[in-house]
Amino acid sequence: MATKTETAQGTPVRVVGFLCDWAVRSEGLLNPDDTLVGMPHVTVIRVPCSGFVKPGWLELALRSGAAGTFVCGCPMGDCLNREGNWIMEDRIDQLRKRLARQKVDPDRIAFFAYGLHDQQAFLDAVQAFVDRLRALGGGKA
Amino acid sequence: MYRRLLTGLQSATLRLDVGIQRVLPQDFNPLYYTGGLANLFLTVLVVSGILIFLYYEPSLEGAYASVEFLTRDVPYGVVFRGIHRYAADAYMVAILLHLFRNWFTDRYREARDSQWLSGMVLLVFSGLAGFTGYLLVWDERSQMLTSLTVQALRSVPLVGHWLAEVFVGGPGVSDTTLPRFLFLHVGPAMALYVLLWWHYVRLRHPKIWPPAVWVLFGLGLLFILASVLPATSGRPAQPGASPEGFPVDWFYLWPYVLARWMAPGWALALVVALLAYGMVIPYTLRETPEERGLRALGQAVVVDENCTGCELCYYDCPYNAIYMVPSPAPGKSRAAANRKLLAVVVDSRCVECGICIGACPFEALELPRMLDRDVQQRIQRGAQAPAAAAT
Repeated sequence: MATKTETAQGTPVRVVGFLCDWAVRSEGLLNPDDTLVGMPHVTVIRVPCSGFVKPGWLELALRSGAAGTFVCGCPMGDCLNREGNWIMEDRIDQLRKRLARQKVDPDRIAFFAYGLHDQQAFLDAVQAFVDRLRALGGGKA
Repeated sequence: MYRRLLTGLQSATLRLDVGIQRVLPQDFNPLYYTGGLANLFLTVLVVSGILIFLYYEPSLEGAYASVEFLTRDVPYGVVFRGIHRYAADAYMVAILLHLFRNWFTDRYREARDSQWLSGMVLLVFSGLAGFTGYLLVWDERSQMLTSLTVQALRSVPLVGHWLAEVFVGGPGVSDTTLPRFLFLHVGPAMALYVLLWWHYVRLRHPKIWPPAVWVLFGLGLLFILASVLPATSGRPAQPGASPEGFPVDWFYLWPYVLARWMAPGWALALVVALLAYGMVIPYTLRETPEERGLRALGQAVVVDENCTGCELCYYDCPYNAIYMVPSPAPGKSRAAANRKLLAVVVDSRCVECGICIGACPFEALELPRMLDRDVQQRIQRGAQAPAAAAT
């Protein structure tokens, strides 16, 4: 699976993601170095709530060389903190528009919403995201 | 043991959501709107209750006849009565789902205890209003419920007889009884709205209404139930009669079913014990910060020198835990130098979710155990990590 995270030129597609504590169960999902099992190019930072993520952090990830970045919150409506995922989805919409003005492809940012039991769906979504990024080419770095 | 049970229930609750989401879009899951559904049914209860109130006569002789008149002779009276009856059940179902869902999904501890406590008090008042509704019809069931309640109250130590007199308005059932029951029905129902203020006061944009499709579905369900299974009275209450049994509304009258096996006083004691336990649930089984992990990163802290008083965190905080106060002194950063306001975090309300951190573009808020600086380092490490790990 790991080889899939490389672009056609062989450069690995690096992704930084944020995973909400109330979303997908993270046990068995992460390697000790916080990368995703089976996808060593995807670093996942666990956060208390998807709403904790600053849009600036997503921008920082892209500027630091990541090809893409995502936030995974819990199912819409189920936020443990009532509306963190709605707020985050909204902030990501705004960030996408801002990045589009700066000629950064908005598709490099993704928002997912998966619950405790949706590990496989989450992994599939990340894989699909990585595949899209592979088509877009590597990050800035 | 108990903790493992709760963990299992949490897993099962969220598993149920997975099933529901196979059929419905995520944000149409009715279990996400149990509070809104309860509010919908409460509104229906108030509206239909007012219509019934216009016809109701709170007297020993007139009560039964007035309800019968409403049911038989008033156009659509039977539908309104049925709607009032079934909306009460739907309301109780909704608030019990609300209670158990929030219990099993861990939304009641720490800073959320105020919502839990107000919810328990709302439950008490809802139950009171619900069961006194069955007294107002003044049929055999009402009579039996009254006598069981009086027995239960009398067996309370010290103040029992006094409580029983307060309940029926005198040493026995008299002309003051039904006006008193009417108050005990309408009074707690009105108090619900005061308590709802307490329930909502710590929430920003509380979800007080379900999506339109569920409103229509709920109202339709009530109309169908009220038409297919009309609410009816039993035989009129007779002084001195001792009816054998009555049709039971399991959502409100279950304690009276217990009276078949135990003295009414013990049934009352059981209800009180259950509710008292409900009140202490948030304070049992406290978790250590280690167990809470990412949910215990410390309450948000305002970095005074960076806060510009822009109010973004204030608008995003879902728990109304941030207040804007007049700035006592200018901030240090250039953006903060001319601020008029300063954000202040109310510790007792903060659930440590960090949504305000995401809202703040000025690095003026931090969760103490997950600092902006550290997250930035991790992002940079993740974005630049050498490809050596790749195979």
